[in-house]
Amino acid sequence: MTTLFGIGFTAPWLLATLAALPLLWLILRAVPPAPLRRIFPGVTLLLGLKDDETLSDRTPWWLLLLRMLAVAALIIGLAGPVLNPARDQSGSGPLLVVLDASWAGAAAWEETRDRLEAELSEAGRANRPVAVLRLTAPEPLNFMAASDWRSRIAGLTPQPWQPTEAQIGEALDQIAAASGGFDSLWFDDGLDYAARPSVIEVLQDRGDLLVIQTRSSTLGLKPARFDDGSIALSALRSRGAAAQEATVIARGPDPGGTLRSLATATLTFAEGATGAEAQLTLPPELRSRITRFEIGGTRSAGAVALTDDSLRRREIALISSQAGNEGLALLSPLHYLRQALEPTADLYEGTLASLLPANPDAVILADVASLPPAEETALIEWVTDGGLLLRFAGPRLAASDLARDADHPLMPVRLRSGGRSIGGAMSWGEPKQLAAFAEDSPFFGLTVPDEVTVTSQVVAQPGPDLANTMIAALGDGTPLVTRKPLGKGKVVLFHVTANAEWSSLPLSGLFVGMLERLSVSSAARTPSAEELEGTTWTPISVLDGLGRHADAGRLSGIAGPDLIATPPGPDMRPGVYESGGRTLARNVLTGDSVLSPSVWPANVAVTGSAAAPERALGGLLLSLALLLLAADILASLLLSGRLTSSRATLTALILGFGTVSLPTDAPAQVRPPPPPALAAEMVLAHVLTGDAQIDALAQAGLTGLSNTLYFRTSVEPASPTGVDLERDELAFYPLLYWPITLSQPRPSAEAYAKLNAYLQAGGMILFDTRDADLASSGATTPNARKLQQLARALDIPPLEPVPEDHVLTRTFYLLQDFPGRHSRGTLWVEAAATGTEQIEGLPFRNLNDGVTPVVIGGNDWASAWAVDAGGRQMYPIGRGFAGERQRELAFRFGVNLVMHVLTGNYKSDQVHVPALLDRLGQ
Amino acid sequence: MTQTAAPAPTALRHSAEVEAGALPPLLVRAEQLAGSVLLGDHGRRRAGLGDDFWQYRPAQPGDSRRLIDHRRSARGDQQYVREREWEIAQSVHLWVDQGASMRFGSRPDLPQKIARARLLALATSILMIRAGERVGLTGTTLPPRRGNTQVLRLAETLCHDTEADYALPEHRAMIPHARAVFLSDFLGPFDELKLALTKAADRGIRGVLFQVLDPAEESFPFRGRTIFESTAGSLRHETLKASGLRDRYLERLAERRDELEALCRLTGWRLGLHHTGDSAQAALLWLFRALDGTGR
Repeated sequence: MTTLFGIGFTAPWLLATLAALPLLWLILRAVPPAPLRRIFPGVTLLLGLKDDETLSDRTPWWLLLLRMLAVAALIIGLAGPVLNPARDQSGSGPLLVVLDASWAGAAAWEETRDRLEAELSEAGRANRPVAVLRLTAPEPLNFMAASDWRSRIAGLTPQPWQPTEAQIGEALDQIAAASGGFDSLWFDDGLDYAARPSVIEVLQDRGDLLVIQTRSSTLGLKPARFDDGSIALSALRSRGAAAQEATVIARGPDPGGTLRSLATATLTFAEGATGAEAQLTLPPELRSRITRFEIGGTRSAGAVALTDDSLRRREIALISSQAGNEGLALLSPLHYLRQALEPTADLYEGTLASLLPANPDAVILADVASLPPAEETALIEWVTDGGLLLRFAGPRLAASDLARDADHPLMPVRLRSGGRSIGGAMSWGEPKQLAAFAEDSPFFGLTVPDEVTVTSQVVAQPGPDLANTMIAALGDGTPLVTRKPLGKGKVVLFHVTANAEWSSLPLSGLFVGMLERLSVSSAARTPSAEELEGTTWTPISVLDGLGRHADAGRLSGIAGPDLIATPPGPDMRPGVYESGGRTLARNVLTGDSVLSPSVWPANVAVTGSAAAPERALGGLLLSLALLLLAADILASLLLSGRLTSSRATLTALILGFGTVSLPTDAPAQVRPPPPPALAAEMVLAHVLTGDAQIDALAQAGLTGLSNTLYFRTSVEPASPTGVDLERDELAFYPLLYWPITLSQPRPSAEAYAKLNAYLQAGGMILFDTRDADLASSGATTPNARKLQQLARALDIPPLEPVPEDHVLTRTFYLLQDFPGRHSRGTLWVEAAATGTEQIEGLPFRNLNDGVTPVVIGGNDWASAWAVDAGGRQMYPIGRGFAGERQRELAFRFGVNLVMHVLTGNYKSDQVHVPALLDRLGQ
Repeated sequence: MTQTAAPAPTALRHSAEVEAGALPPLLVRAEQLAGSVLLGDHGRRRAGLGDDFWQYRPAQPGDSRRLIDHRRSARGDQQYVREREWEIAQSVHLWVDQGASMRFGSRPDLPQKIARARLLALATSILMIRAGERVGLTGTTLPPRRGNTQVLRLAETLCHDTEADYALPEHRAMIPHARAVFLSDFLGPFDELKLALTKAADRGIRGVLFQVLDPAEESFPFRGRTIFESTAGSLRHETLKASGLRDRYLERLAERRDELEALCRLTGWRLGLHHTGDSAQAALLWLFRALDGTGR
């Protein structure tokens, strides 16, 4: 590609033809425009006339210029001009492509990959062997042909961590292992990390280093915190550029288990600021379902914050045996529990019978010995289903016979009667201290403070499995806390009281820690490394570099302190970890993370990955040439006098400009559905069932009814039409006739929404099951069942068989039955409001409200109404004159129905009662 | 529409159908146009043979007794004779230029000159025939006759085109002291017209020269390098700059009209001008009035 004046040309030699332009000028100038032949009878008068000017009519200079410009644009356009031609990749020899490939580059990964591909093809053209080194996943350098690498680009994915020091070291080893010199191309993700200078140094030793830096600022989301009843979200960006908004989406399963966006919050970065905060207040139900927050529109592990228990507020039912005694708050068995749990859990107090149906996360029974049998059964069932029952001992438990002689399902161990007191005034020995927690205990790692002493406790019956159930013991080995599984759930017994009466345990911080370890409560903050001492966490779900969930199947567990302290790396993937019923999320960013943009030494060449893209100008110039030629057509026509009528001008303009379309990538507009030209006229409509015969019948029936209305009433409907519920707008039709067929499909949810809106806006649907001959005995016919299926999603009020005084019986004709082709079917309409009573002496009840939205029957009215194109009845009804009478009544029903739709309850008005009475002869 | 010497029966039938196809529309339009003119008093304004009452005059010696009007005479002592208005049939000769130069319409929405000329000729004929005159063509093709059949014959004959660019006026077999209407664009050879008109004037025939022109022929809206051709292609004139010819063309057109005027003054004829862009009804009215006037 040759570059002239900053514009590259793919075929520069074509430009030489520009030199021929002056020649063209001369030729065009010498040739006058072609003469026009015209029929003209007055030519006799012209004969012998000489032209005044002997000079031939030359092409004017401006037209010549126009043509010159068109030809020049054509030549330049064909020469393939390119604006911002791609930089020539100079150099030869092996090329090492270094990728940060960290989560920071994930958002712009497509861009990086495109650029990488371009660079690889460039290297391929130059026959340079290429090796690719990912700093987040270093592998031995393998110099191969660029084309081999191109096929492997798709497999390169960013990792959800920054290059760790170990990895940098490994990368340095790999570089050292490679022999010879090579140039390097470094795709920088935009974030700084500590060990970078060492790599730069090594690479510069081997050859030239060029850095391609991503243009966008890296966004990251810190872990969400629960703070004063709302979720605090904070996001970071690497460069404090212009003001920016980021939308954070909270995702989680809906009740059906599908992952959905549950809430969104908008974070606003002020100009120059690198941090933004937002609060999100959600109801606890919703909050506990959130599994992750992510920044909308950004695909990166750093833009995802996974949630763990810290967002969940556990619901705990507290039940004690005593009624509340206000004066003795500090003696209440529940006081210390409340204090310990209140910050992190929602507490409910009351009776077990009322709390258990709410399905709390844990039930705490403080010194409750016996439960009513029904409650006990329910509690056992609840625990078996996965509940956590925490019991505290106390005087009542010690005095009761619970679990004395046999195991009780709700007690982990059998108890010896009475319990014991130690270190009291009347007993020997000192108050006992706690023993250190055993390694298999959930409390392992918690430090036991010296001041915790136990003076009284209930004592477990020794047995072979006591050691298994014991998770905390006193210094003398007697169990302090025992636990046993029950079904999917667990039962835990503290052998001391929940208040400070028997021990000082509830007074110490250890109590809170133990409750947390038992996952009774959840920590509202990220636990410190010390608190996690001794625990092992297994990953449930981990993130990949793009912020997607990846399989955690074969990853090994991680020690608790590491989970907090170690930065993410291949052994410490961001994700959700679980240990003993508690979950902990390890995110890419931590609460005190800072995103610092990468800084390169001055001796490293840095280019932006988003250099102005190549832009081919050929199309633009060719379009210009076409436009100029079109203008030339117009001008030539104008000069030769052919452009006389305005129509010719218009045609020429259309021809001229219609052929030229500028190269835009505007998407084709979606054509809006044409509005039916029905609003001006009243149109009866039937629902298209998909059965051609039924649809034709409905059409013919409505035609007959329309004709009848036209002849007999002031309603003058236009031709009826069929409506497709999925596509057509229903608002134009006052009445929909819906024949029921077995084969018709259920309308979609949108169609139902449309139908319900139609019914609410005053539309009426006449459902016709067309089977009154079968259904009169009350049997449910297939069509009726189909109707039930179809109408289930419709908003239909309670129905009743049409009462004798319904307004339908007198909107136009006085009717008592409503036959169609069948005459026996019952007609159902919206039930009248209750409590309307007939006044003595009046024929009608005072029913002034509402037009029934649906009329349901099975008399196959369409058949009775149907007329063919010539206006003749299409189907025989009944026999002889009685049949004709039945058809007449069917028409009258149709007229009444349409009148009812159009005039509403007008005829129900009391004003007309005297006249109607008179007509009825009463 | 040329008539062959011995057409095959089918071809004759076919051409007859074509001919007949052209007739009704022309006839209908001509009838419509003629119907729009209310026939007024069309007598000769003097006593003579006729149906309408003219005056009573005292009986004079020599009057046949049968002529005495007894109803009038019974009112007094004098005997009166009832005179009727002299109503005598005139002969009207039509000549419609059927030359190719008449088959020209500058715009699609304008009728060709020949169509307008035929329409006007036929409408005039209808009016004349209704008024009791005898109408025919100049020449021997269709001598003047009266009656509605003559309208049909006229219509048929008027539909024949001539191939030549400029038709020569037919001036043979004209009945002396008759009326004549020449409809043409009068762009053809002037001498022939002069000959025809002087010959007619010699025979005491007076009438109307009715010039039918296309608006383009009056305005000459042409520009640029143009070759002008006559309709049949016999004449052509090339110019490099049509707009430069406009003034001189208009000059010549006016000159031609002056010559026509002079000729008319000489022969006692009247000259009418009609553009196909204008209403045919106004032209018919003018034509009718002009014919009426030439009668006196």
